[in-house]
Amino acid sequence: MNSSRWLGAGLVLPATALLLLLFLAPTLLMGLMSLRNYTAGTGVGSDWTIANYLSVLTDGFYIEIMARTLFLGLVVTLATLLLGFPLALFILRSSPAVQTLTILLVIFPLLCNIVVRSFGWMVLLSPNGVINETLASLGLIAEPLDLMYNLTGVVIGLTQIYLPFMVLLLVPALQNIPADVEAAALGLRASRPRTFATIIVPLALPGIITGSILVFVLTISALVTPRMLGGPTYKVMATQIYDEFMTNLNWPAGAALAFILTAITLGLIWGANRLAARYTKGLQA
Amino acid sequence: MIPRKPTLLLTLFALLVLVFMNAPTVVVVLASFTKTSYLTVPPQGWTLDWFSEVLTDRGYRRAISTSLTLAAGATALSILLGTAASYALHHRLVRGRDAILSLVMAPLVFPAVVIGVALLQYISMLGFRGQFWILMLAHVLITLPYVVRSAMSSLTGLNPQLEEAAMVLGSNRFEAFRLVTLPLLKPGLVAGGIFSFVTSLDNVPVTIFLLTPRQTTLPVKIFASVEHGVDPSIAAASTLLVAGTAIALILAQKWVSFTRFF
Repeated sequence: MNSSRWLGAGLVLPATALLLLLFLAPTLLMGLMSLRNYTAGTGVGSDWTIANYLSVLTDGFYIEIMARTLFLGLVVTLATLLLGFPLALFILRSSPAVQTLTILLVIFPLLCNIVVRSFGWMVLLSPNGVINETLASLGLIAEPLDLMYNLTGVVIGLTQIYLPFMVLLLVPALQNIPADVEAAALGLRASRPRTFATIIVPLALPGIITGSILVFVLTISALVTPRMLGGPTYKVMATQIYDEFMTNLNWPAGAALAFILTAITLGLIWGANRLAARYTKGLQA
Repeated sequence: MIPRKPTLLLTLFALLVLVFMNAPTVVVVLASFTKTSYLTVPPQGWTLDWFSEVLTDRGYRRAISTSLTLAAGATALSILLGTAASYALHHRLVRGRDAILSLVMAPLVFPAVVIGVALLQYISMLGFRGQFWILMLAHVLITLPYVVRSAMSSLTGLNPQLEEAAMVLGSNRFEAFRLVTLPLLKPGLVAGGIFSFVTSLDNVPVTIFLLTPRQTTLPVKIFASVEHGVDPSIAAASTLLVAGTAIALILAQKWVSFTRFF
């Protein structure tokens, strides 16, 4: 080995060692744990089994949690798209001063703590919170609305939390659409809505796909917001993993659930990358 | 796209979305000034009592100092490890560049809660549970991708001839790095460092699994307090966290403009 190889090895060693010892090794160990048998009362056994995966994938209790998590991911993704797309358009069409201010207002919540923002939503959504009190004092409702500890609250909270990512990915995607293409469509007498649907949206698709996958993946692995706005009874995969490890102490089941969550996440990211790559290639051809 | 002015409808919609995006933070900040003993918005009267309560409370003070120590230490280590690794990877001084890069970036795509439980199990088995340095290294793990990404993109943007010129003029590799490359990397490293600091300061899903009952960080303490009922002191603690983040950002604005991303 020459001197630059030694230098290179020395420079990457600390970072690589950290990742191997504190990321790869724990992940592999958890893989082993997910294959251990578990008996309530005695704890983790020493036999190998796939029972943990089977029980998670067949037990109605876990299936409901997984279905709810994926549904939540879908709803939040759609909500961020519906709110984020017009906001991204607005940013592109504004004057530079308004643009800067708007971008700062999009980035500011992104950098505020997720616990703080979820807490803010609790203040707004709780039965005696700001929204219910205001509606009641206006005489619009007699009973407080159930805005929290259910799907509504979790969707509102997660949509607000992940919306900045969607906007920040949609802005460059829309910006990169050449003006000529849009002008050509309009020049050929396509209507504004038709141009939007057949030119703008398809050309922004790589950005839309990237943003949607990112929001979906972040939503299904969210722990803090579902716990704070969903309460102890509204369970999703991440909160169930937390409970298996911290409350039930059924580590094999928690590990199996964690691996299923990871598999869904990595699978989606991998699939989206391939889809985006193929789509971009298709556009150039 | 063809430049055109936003319509009134689009402007109104955008305004509503911006209100939606910023409402929870504004509400928390407002609620922390109330004179009442319960949370209410708009606040009734203005007082700083809740802040002095948080800042004199021993539990909160320890949580704040733990959070800051953790974030500062993890960021410093991340910058050190991340810059060194990025330099070697950029100059292709090691084999397996892509594999190492994917490994370093992996914690970014893994669900944070999974990293948390995997570490919990691993360090319990090794008997390191509750050690502060383990917690700090776990934070390096989750902040390193930001520093490496930032450093790699800054290195790609550099003119390689500058470093070569320094070496032709007689400086060795380290001097060329310290005197030429490092100053040019500074904006990228500051941006990556700020992002890493904020990420560490905010983290709950990894941290919560690695704390002992006697340790806590500010966001974990707020998260845990909420389960026992809410009062304005939680809002005050949250406001402090928001203020800390805002100060970090204003400092960062000196070096990096956020709008340059567009």
